Amino acid sequence: MLFAHLSDIHLGFQKHESLQKIEQQVFEKAMDECITRKVDFVLIPGDLFHVNIPEMRVQKFAFAKFRQVHDAGIPIYVVYGSHDFSPVSNSVIDLLAEIGYITKVTKATSNDDDTISLDFLIDKKTGTKIAGLSGLKVGKDREWYEKLDRSSLESESGFKIFLFHGGISDMKTDTGMDGDLMPLSLLPKGFSYYAGGHMHKFNHQSFDGYSHVVYPGTPFAGYHADLEDNANGQKRGFVLVEFDDMVKSVKFVEIPNTSYEIIEINADNRKAESINQELAEKTKDIDPADKIVIIKVSGELTSGKTADVDISTIRDNLNERNALIVNISKNQLTSKEYSITEAKGANKEEIETNVFSENIGQLRFDYPELLGDEGVKLGKKLLSELAQPLLENEKKNEYIPRIRDNVLAILGLDANDS
Amino acid sequence: MDEISIVGQVVGGSFGDIVIRQKSGTNLEIGDLMIAEENGSFLILQVFALEYGSQIQDKMQQMMSGVNLEQGIVDANFYEPEFVNYVLARIKPLARVYKENNDVKIPKSLPSFFNKLRLISKEDLKFLQKEKDSIFVGYIRSGSKIIKEAEVWLPAEDVFSHHVLIPATTGRGKSNLVKTILWHVLDTNKVGALVLDAHDEYFGRSGVGLKDHPRAKENMVYYTPSNPPVGANRLTVNLQSIRPEHFEGIVDFSDPQFQAIRMAFRKSRSNWIRELMLTDAVDAGMESNSQGRAEFAAATMMVVQRKLRLLLSLEKDEEGVVFSRHEVFDSTTKGLNTVDDIVKDIENGKVVVLDTSRLGDEAELLVGNIIASKLLQKYKDAKASGELDRKPVATIVIEEAPRVIGVDVLTSRNDNIYSTIAKEGRKFKVGLTAITQLSSVIPKTILANMNTKIILGNEMKQEREAIIASASQDLSEDDKNIASLDKGEAIITSIFVPFAMPIKIPLFEDIVREKGIKNNTGKTKVF
Repeated sequence: MLFAHLSDIHLGFQKHESLQKIEQQVFEKAMDECITRKVDFVLIPGDLFHVNIPEMRVQKFAFAKFRQVHDAGIPIYVVYGSHDFSPVSNSVIDLLAEIGYITKVTKATSNDDDTISLDFLIDKKTGTKIAGLSGLKVGKDREWYEKLDRSSLESESGFKIFLFHGGISDMKTDTGMDGDLMPLSLLPKGFSYYAGGHMHKFNHQSFDGYSHVVYPGTPFAGYHADLEDNANGQKRGFVLVEFDDMVKSVKFVEIPNTSYEIIEINADNRKAESINQELAEKTKDIDPADKIVIIKVSGELTSGKTADVDISTIRDNLNERNALIVNISKNQLTSKEYSITEAKGANKEEIETNVFSENIGQLRFDYPELLGDEGVKLGKKLLSELAQPLLENEKKNEYIPRIRDNVLAILGLDANDS
Repeated sequence: MDEISIVGQVVGGSFGDIVIRQKSGTNLEIGDLMIAEENGSFLILQVFALEYGSQIQDKMQQMMSGVNLEQGIVDANFYEPEFVNYVLARIKPLARVYKENNDVKIPKSLPSFFNKLRLISKEDLKFLQKEKDSIFVGYIRSGSKIIKEAEVWLPAEDVFSHHVLIPATTGRGKSNLVKTILWHVLDTNKVGALVLDAHDEYFGRSGVGLKDHPRAKENMVYYTPSNPPVGANRLTVNLQSIRPEHFEGIVDFSDPQFQAIRMAFRKSRSNWIRELMLTDAVDAGMESNSQGRAEFAAATMMVVQRKLRLLLSLEKDEEGVVFSRHEVFDSTTKGLNTVDDIVKDIENGKVVVLDTSRLGDEAELLVGNIIASKLLQKYKDAKASGELDRKPVATIVIEEAPRVIGVDVLTSRNDNIYSTIAKEGRKFKVGLTAITQLSSVIPKTILANMNTKIILGNEMKQEREAIIASASQDLSEDDKNIASLDKGEAIITSIFVPFAMPIKIPLFEDIVREKGIKNNTGKTKVF
């Protein structure tokens, strides 16, 4: 018997048309593989979609493919992920479940003694017992797991699988992976297989009491950093598991997505001109056609502003040479002259004020209203305005001028001021 | 002062050794705190010795006793015995408190002659205000009487960065005290702590413990090597986290052995321990350098392998995978970030409890060393970049402290991270909370740097002397007082308290009962 385990597909994440195509192709290829290999069922523990209600284009191709899998007689078992989660069953996942293309696994009951019980569902064909918990919002996951009635789950006999969506600290391999990780001890023990979602790289480990804890990782990309990992050789795909009354093998099936070029530049103790020169030289030597090009500049410049590193010319040049897309990361680029010092505070408001106050001293302007306390006030007003979200039913072409006009008003400028 | 509350009167003595006559009907105890009121201020004094006094000469008393005992005359009494025979108490001044502003100063004068004294009350201790970000250690104790209204709080940042020493012999309430301190550390994120828990007694796996603190989920992280309770972390440290210098001052390697270790590290970098354990010692020993001589003897290599095997409980399976029997050390992909995660938690003001009960002495210290080294380095970096003020003070709680800061360890081996922290950690807001039965084997330079000592009962004279000699206040008359401290009774001597404070530490179980998590009833909303 065989099952497939996919996760973190993040359908609808990509904004660029060429990447949207890859996203769709990879998903369809993975589903086709499941049909071709005649798997008995498919597990998707969360983040199948990037948001709970993705755009119609995404829903259309997803529904079409899930219908094919359904028609092939392959059940798909899912839990919500942190992205497609909806506490009121208002997710496209629920729509798919309602028409019977997929089955939601989480069957939770709240008990009088403040514990939470989970029921198993049984895969008709294989007799596999499946239980699981959706990925909730930060903090809630932990509370649910702590309240879980584990004895009923752990005492269940037979081949059983636990689906979950959440990062497990014991499985962490990258130093940069922080956030809402939880210890493995929160999961119930004694399952034959733990189908995980949320961590974006393939990871398969076993621990005392927890055999086969597996994350297949994203099949393409669910965060921008995933593309960078792909460019650095991270293999993407899904997991095939052969089993009878226990797991016999866990195999990673790679699905190639596209070609990449990555250019990484260390800006430590350098000036912007030298970075620009290196960028020009390095981009000259590559063939960007039909590739995702990732440019990463990190480090601390000796002088000048980070904006002096001229990215737009490079981007235009690569686009002209038919790059699929050019992704530029300058998040970790700072300047000794203009470095933003972090500041703490008891709340968001206080933190913002403190960050502005700590850093405004390094600015040199001829306009006193941009400096000192006045400058801090102005900065906070601007930040608040720029953080305004799109209003309900507001179109983008209405939103942008609205924000722009408000910002100009805060700055006391007219739109036609040069 | 009303006449009823008077317990004695000054009748003689000198500064630091004042003699008072005890009022009949009262019963002074060693350690009792008393008050001598004066204009605008009062003195707090403490009884350190008690003796008999009498208006009748010794020989006469002895003769009277003989008559009483030998001739069986049972109704022989002194005329007005309360005037004739009495108790003399020797007391010392601890502090002078100015009533106007509750200012506490070190006393420099005697109470007036014939001044009448009374026992201390809660009103006299109003100066013990709880300040922001302080930790509770106990209640003021006068002899064996506890003044529950007078709580003793220590300023957390100052106390922990200037190191804390807890000298105690077994059974005097040491772990109760540490749990009480950590309980109050958990109240806020102002103190980060690494607790090397050699007896797995602080978390409360079975029974009450720090896990019962209402903020334990946010502010405490518990690591244990096996079968972690729900929500706890598995203590796995990847062998890649270990560097040769982590063994310094902890494991007794000879120079050639260290050379072999450094060579292995240079060759294989992060995987050096795995490679070293899998190396054939004879082949490695024969390897030659440019001078054509063997780099180190095969025997040296074998000793290094044996020591590492024993220290880290390493074994290798048939596929050549190196693993540790107690599962704390891993040579594959587990535990690669454990050290970073722990350091980050401490930097965020959390209490990280490591259950090291399954590790040998040296392995426990090694794990602590790896974490403490990284922590100190991060705090040093923060100081260099001007960000130290934003970090919480960090403390490393270590039991049997002489294992790492004992005089024999520090003279026979190089300095280790614990002694470095004891000497220079204060500058970087990193301190030690050292627990020991043997203060006398800790060098004076380190003892003097430990600016807060919470002294529990100790029957060993040599140990009491070492503590007294390094105390922040003059405890020269307190030898008997320390010897007679009962379970849970302590004396705090610190540069952060105005005088050596006698305290009673509450029972941890009582704290949990009063302030611990109350069981929730009702349903959780599920969807």
